[in-house]
Amino acid sequence: MKRRNIIRSAVLAFTAAALLVAQPLTAAEPSITMAFVPQENPDKLLGDIEQITAYLSKETGVPVKGFVTSDHAAAVEALRNGDADISFMGALPSVIAKHRIGAEPILLEVYRGKPTYRGRVFVRRDSAIETLADLKGKTIAFADPISESGYLFPLKTFVDEGLLEKGADPKGFFGEVYFAGGYQQAIQAMANGLVDAAGVSQYADLLLTPDQQAEIRWIAESEQIPSHTVIARKGLDDDLKTRFIAAMMKLNEPDYRVYLKYVYGPDGYVVADNSAFTNLEALARDYGFID
Amino acid sequence: MAFIRLFAPALAVLIATILLVSVSLATVIAEKKWDPFAGSFQTMLFMADLKPVPWEKIRIAFEEPLSAAEIPVSGKERLEGLVPGNGEALSAAISAAIASEDRQALYEAASRALAASLTASLDRAAEALSDPASAQLELLNAQQLYRAVDPFVRQSDPDNARAIGRAWLTLTTTTGSSGVFGIGSQEADTERYLDAGRTILTYMHENYSPVRFTERVSLAPAPEGALPKLAENPIRPWFPPGTDIADQDPLPLLVLNFEEKGIDEADLPLVAYGDMLFDSPEIFGEPARTLGITCSTCHNRSDINNRFFIPGVSHRPGGADVDGGFFNAIFNDFQDDALDTPSLRGIRLTAPYGRDGRIASLREFTRNVIVSEFGGNEPTPFMLDALIAYMNEFDFLPNSKIDRFGELTDRSDASVVRGETLFNTPFDGMAGKSCASCHVPATNFTDNRRYDIGSVKGNYDGSRGGQFDTPTLINVKYTAPYFHDGSLPTLGSVVDWFNDTYALDLNESQRADLTAYVETIGGADEPYEVFDGKATPFALAFAELTTFATTLEALIPARDKFHANLMLDTVITDLRQDISAMANRDRIDQVIELADGLSAVQSAINKDGWVTASSEWLAFKTKKTAYEEAMY
Repeated sequence: MKRRNIIRSAVLAFTAAALLVAQPLTAAEPSITMAFVPQENPDKLLGDIEQITAYLSKETGVPVKGFVTSDHAAAVEALRNGDADISFMGALPSVIAKHRIGAEPILLEVYRGKPTYRGRVFVRRDSAIETLADLKGKTIAFADPISESGYLFPLKTFVDEGLLEKGADPKGFFGEVYFAGGYQQAIQAMANGLVDAAGVSQYADLLLTPDQQAEIRWIAESEQIPSHTVIARKGLDDDLKTRFIAAMMKLNEPDYRVYLKYVYGPDGYVVADNSAFTNLEALARDYGFID
Repeated sequence: MAFIRLFAPALAVLIATILLVSVSLATVIAEKKWDPFAGSFQTMLFMADLKPVPWEKIRIAFEEPLSAAEIPVSGKERLEGLVPGNGEALSAAISAAIASEDRQALYEAASRALAASLTASLDRAAEALSDPASAQLELLNAQQLYRAVDPFVRQSDPDNARAIGRAWLTLTTTTGSSGVFGIGSQEADTERYLDAGRTILTYMHENYSPVRFTERVSLAPAPEGALPKLAENPIRPWFPPGTDIADQDPLPLLVLNFEEKGIDEADLPLVAYGDMLFDSPEIFGEPARTLGITCSTCHNRSDINNRFFIPGVSHRPGGADVDGGFFNAIFNDFQDDALDTPSLRGIRLTAPYGRDGRIASLREFTRNVIVSEFGGNEPTPFMLDALIAYMNEFDFLPNSKIDRFGELTDRSDASVVRGETLFNTPFDGMAGKSCASCHVPATNFTDNRRYDIGSVKGNYDGSRGGQFDTPTLINVKYTAPYFHDGSLPTLGSVVDWFNDTYALDLNESQRADLTAYVETIGGADEPYEVFDGKATPFALAFAELTTFATTLEALIPARDKFHANLMLDTVITDLRQDISAMANRDRIDQVIELADGLSAVQSAINKDGWVTASSEWLAFKTKKTAYEEAMY
């Protein structure tokens, strides 16, 4: 309960600060409100929001304010009811928001030159596990039950291999299924021998120490997944949207790259292309996330 | 459901004790930022193991925000926020231990505070179970606190570490998930959550907040229960949060005399072996060896590493106290006299050695670094020959703005030319000497002598301990900060220091001219390594390591088991670690296969199977040729 109080008071603090900035303006003046979903310490996120909203205010020429939501669902709700104009969001919630409330993914994060990535199933090199079938009855750690690369897509590799029924409870195949809370925790648990496998992002091995990286390998890889998105609410003014996109795309330029660390640290952004979401939309339908 | 209630009896005995923790690994990946309290905890305990104990630095590590913390809050403030009601008492106990300079009291107070903060954090997560997102965030906080002791538990109490690891997995799994719009939601499993939480907290209280602590020799936070068996699972050397031993960015360019002439290092086995030793932690003793510290850790590509920093050991980035107690207890001079790392460029021309120029021979100085400073075994004559052969190839960076006499080749910049005049002007304040009197242009801007210029006071009146070697100014533009202790940040500040100290009476414009001149003669045409396309840090490392391995061409015929093993231990370890820098992640298996190939060579050598070793080496070379092109 206390945590939510902290978040709520943080929202108030930022709203108040933004109001001070916006004070000379009338209610009709345009502005942008952004929702941020915490991935780790919300206190750190508050500092990041302060930096990026200051940059965006300057670049777009309109006041930009930000607040922290408790999770993706709250961010989607904020987009629906107009409390937020724009939110940073994982690809799956973004697809759901698009189908449910007409929100529009406008930007995709870029990692290692691509706006897409894959999920992988990693095991230790010294294990006898060679194929996904070898994991029957074994233990596996995923990141989170609604993570694309940290659960749904790695799980789909088992479905594609005919080892799991679509939509079936994976506990019927594995000995134990854990959700470790993040990529790093999941792959660490595997590298430390706590579980036999980890289903995580293809880049999760980079979160291990160099020694650990040499001790693991991957045995299956999912189809492509869109990276995290920036999504705008239905009906957001086109001019504001254009200004916002231009400001964000500027972060790809050398002089502005420093700001990327305040927005979850991608290598850059590209303008979102609907075709990037095809695989994900199909999977979201399979799991009943969208109609 | 609250853990506070479950653990109330244990907490009651805590009364007024606190603790902060931090841990790190001997790896060169970017360190994840720390919870301020966990980071402060580890930093304090690391520093309290140094001799003499730097109590003021410990106080600062508790009361001021650490650079390694993820939010700019002190460990003290964080602790007080983490444990409502009791945080201030816990924090007061730590402060009292610091004030009384009592190591054992510090350990006990910090440990109890860690256990209490973790308890409070897991309790908050339990209270938030109806809201999975909030519970998960609080669990992340709790995990960041446990990080303070995690590596120590894993090393010294592996069975319990596994049980606790599984308990954390159970906690994160049983908090459930809100899904998105309720779809994919999972109910919390309160019973399993509480069971797992009890496993962790029981362990934490028994081992980090016991009724009575054992008197500690080292404050590395090994669990209390593991102390009797610590000899079997000793704590490995560790770095505190905020340590940075990654290479400087941008990476200095290395100029080797033979390479500029087009000679392949693989044809120079003595030089190649020396190059390997320069990159090998195997030549040092503990803790440097386990921590992966090598000559090149501080001297990147023969130059410096301006980011090297170990809290408590370095006074500022780019330096360290190499005769403090951290690296080699027997060499500890008990003086807080950290040095700024000097560049080794042109080292054959810059004798004598050491900032104070106390050793005339590079060979003797190198032995001193290996044996005295870093606690290594006595190097063999071959090892010293190899290191000297390699270091004698270190050249200065070419600078087309000066000729071989140190004279300007381009006199078009009036400010630089005016600066040159000032550089050569005798000043009354310097007893009629000029800058050029000691920094002689024709001899690499040094006179290879020692002077007391007043940059530091000796240890007593009449001491001559303020004498330091005249540093070369060639390439000096890239070796900031300046002076033996790095106390001056820029060349401009050095000019100002001389102007003030020696009453040179230079006006602002003259000081700018003099600075411009020094920056010009101290510049270079290409100061840094350029990475582009296939020229990646991994490609550079791979080329180096496989060159080191070519020394087998000399070592196998010579049946030199000792030196072959030293090289292979270094190269095999590095090759495996360097996959973390590979851009082409799909070729990792091939690098590991190559490392395994060298292991096969080593295995044969250790069985005196020299013929097998030769054939395994040949197999390695064939594979390397086949794999290399696609590897980058």
